[in-house]
Amino acid sequence: MKLFENPIFLTHKRLVHRGGVLAAILIAALIGFSLLAGLVSYLAEPDDFHFSSPQEAGKTFFGWTIGAEILVLVIGGFSRIARALADDRKAGLWDSNRLTPLKPSQLVLGYWLGPALREFYMAGVLAGFGLIIVLADHLPITLWLGTQILIASTALFFGLLGILAGMAFQRSQGVLIFLVFLFAYPFSFIAPSRMLTNFLLPIYGITNLFQTEHSNLGRDWSSPPEIFGLPIYPILLSLGLQFIIGIFIWRALVRKTANPFQPLLLRWEAVVLFVILVASQHSLLWDLWRGHFPEAAASGRDNERESLLSVVHGGTIITGILLLTFASPLPERVRVESLRLGFKHLGAIFSRSAVSVALVLAAIAGAALLTQFAFSLAGSIRIYAVATVNLAEIFLVFALLLEFCRLRHKRRALGFMAFWLFLLCIIPFILGGVLSSETLARISLLSPGFIALSDRNNPDWQLLFYTVLAHFGVVVLLFIAWQRQWKRLLEKAH
Amino acid sequence: MPDSLLAIERLRVDFPEVVAVNDLSLALDPGDVCGLIGPNGAGKTTTMRAISGLQEFTRGSVKVGGHELSSEPDELKKRLGFMPDFCPTYDQLTTSEFLEHFARAFDVPDRAKRINDCLELTWLTDKRHSLCEELSRGMKQRLVLAKTLLPDPQVLLLDEPASGLDPLGRIELRKILLQLHDAGKTVLISSHILSELSGFCNKAAIMERGKLVKFGTITELGAQMGKRRMSVKWRVAENGALQILNAHRAVKNLETAGLGAAFDFEGEPDALDDLLKTLVVQGVRVCEWRGVGDDLEQIFLQSGAKELM
Repeated sequence: MKLFENPIFLTHKRLVHRGGVLAAILIAALIGFSLLAGLVSYLAEPDDFHFSSPQEAGKTFFGWTIGAEILVLVIGGFSRIARALADDRKAGLWDSNRLTPLKPSQLVLGYWLGPALREFYMAGVLAGFGLIIVLADHLPITLWLGTQILIASTALFFGLLGILAGMAFQRSQGVLIFLVFLFAYPFSFIAPSRMLTNFLLPIYGITNLFQTEHSNLGRDWSSPPEIFGLPIYPILLSLGLQFIIGIFIWRALVRKTANPFQPLLLRWEAVVLFVILVASQHSLLWDLWRGHFPEAAASGRDNERESLLSVVHGGTIITGILLLTFASPLPERVRVESLRLGFKHLGAIFSRSAVSVALVLAAIAGAALLTQFAFSLAGSIRIYAVATVNLAEIFLVFALLLEFCRLRHKRRALGFMAFWLFLLCIIPFILGGVLSSETLARISLLSPGFIALSDRNNPDWQLLFYTVLAHFGVVVLLFIAWQRQWKRLLEKAH
Repeated sequence: MPDSLLAIERLRVDFPEVVAVNDLSLALDPGDVCGLIGPNGAGKTTTMRAISGLQEFTRGSVKVGGHELSSEPDELKKRLGFMPDFCPTYDQLTTSEFLEHFARAFDVPDRAKRINDCLELTWLTDKRHSLCEELSRGMKQRLVLAKTLLPDPQVLLLDEPASGLDPLGRIELRKILLQLHDAGKTVLISSHILSELSGFCNKAAIMERGKLVKFGTITELGAQMGKRRMSVKWRVAENGALQILNAHRAVKNLETAGLGAAFDFEGEPDALDDLLKTLVVQGVRVCEWRGVGDDLEQIFLQSGAKELM
């Protein structure tokens, strides 16, 4: 079925047009026209402006058009798609459409491209004005082409994420996720060319296109990123990452549409995604230490970025936790499977549970981290061991808690999950602050890895080891509780 | 159940705290109209959602026209129409645009004609250019029914189709359902308002707490009934009629009221027919002879599935 015969696409196109598109197009045209007028004004009276050259003026005005384009297409498109799907789900239309012979991929395609048409039109108008600005100012056409390709690719990528959000969350929760993202993202600017998030969102690629030899942003934004020391075009890196991860998201969406009772990610998909993300991230960092962490590489580049590995450690934790959430099966589904297939032993549970995935993810993260220690392991074994074991403990605690709370507290699982994580991760910091005790803050589940990787000159290794050991005790206790809950569920099932 | 158009075997749906549908088996032949009856929470909606593929089931099989849901879901979707107990519509589309959306999705041939036919069948032709949000609840209900009928499914699942309708809406809906019955559709229709179903159901399935407690044709189920409450009226005062009724072994709890009486009849349907014949032969001018409550109501009340009512 072609896109223009896809009923979901056609209906959303109709709904968008019924809501009116002319005003939106006029707004985009006004923004574009204002920026073009600014450039024309500069070219007529250059002394009235503070630009050092026509190129700088052109790039500034063009920069504003693509800023507006990103705002409209990526952020506006994402929220529009997520909202359309959440609304259709609430109204029962999602189920009505699922009952038709439309293939799941056709449903996903319709929601991907239909609801955000107004934003596509606006972006098209802005892109047109951007092209006029580029041509009028004799800027390289590759600047326009490169930015448009990146924006289009990111819009499509975010469109898929929008469907994911619409499938998984209510409208209000989508806003919350966006706020969390806005809070976390600034960490990416610590070392722009070395943080994966700057390539997943093509911030580096776009900024890089604007750079010249005499750019005042320095090498942070102008040098190409390096994968294990080999330079790569930032645009290619962004497109490649978005394409590969997009394929996984697409697969997950199609599968979830066909059967909404399955977890979002299959276990192998979660593992492969984690491998791609973690390996890419560590390969971008490679040139800093070249396997001699914590000693800076001979080139001495970026040796001021001492905390970079702990920021990546934090990113690895967030990524792992997200993937574990997506790959974790709902207990009810396992119970139904147990009834269907007749298995009663915990081995079968373990092979379906996110706990085994947590172990695999921890092993992958450990292997990826090892690349930074490859030639200095003998001297840095303590740092590596604490960071890796702590990561494994965090993943295991999360996976065990997630399933324990779902089994024990059912609909209240989220609240209890938040409570236990707050107790294990945040309370020690609060108590440490209130009682002015650094030691208390160091017993948080989150602390050992960060301390080992960033405070490596003078950490209290003994305390770190005891802390890691105590956390292992928590893992064991949780494992026993987790096992009991599953046993109880299986007994009830049979 | 090889020739059944809709064949459900040992269907089981598990919810976290309860077995929502437990080992449910039933078979409907072409032209059957089956009332799925049960109190709220009996598992009627879950059963319908499981048959349509919206609800995952633990075990069992669902076949429509010989096509198994788990292995040939697309074939099943072409043959099955499900109307949920609420009215999902695109509020900003007109009724004909709404139907066009689904006609495309089902790849219905000669879309425009089919849409017209369905609008006509559901008496919405004059509303074809109205937005869905402008329709009353009853009209929306009919629109969703029209949508369900678009691909001309062989089997229709109608979940509480009259819930929330005013009396006029119910009468209109009832007429449409009778038309479907006449058109030979196989219909499984759920309701806990039995008067909605009486008159056009030839089969009934009674559910309670996820289990099918009775299933069969109305005649079969009627025959299984231990007793039924009857009402009889005659034109002039008839002591003879009361004597006949009093003398009959199957007549219990006889109550007289003006020119008539009500009684429980504990016997076979044939014996009840014979009793009427006896009254007429004895010269009683019977002007009314009916069950108190319709057949379905009586079957339901005697099925034991009333604890949750």
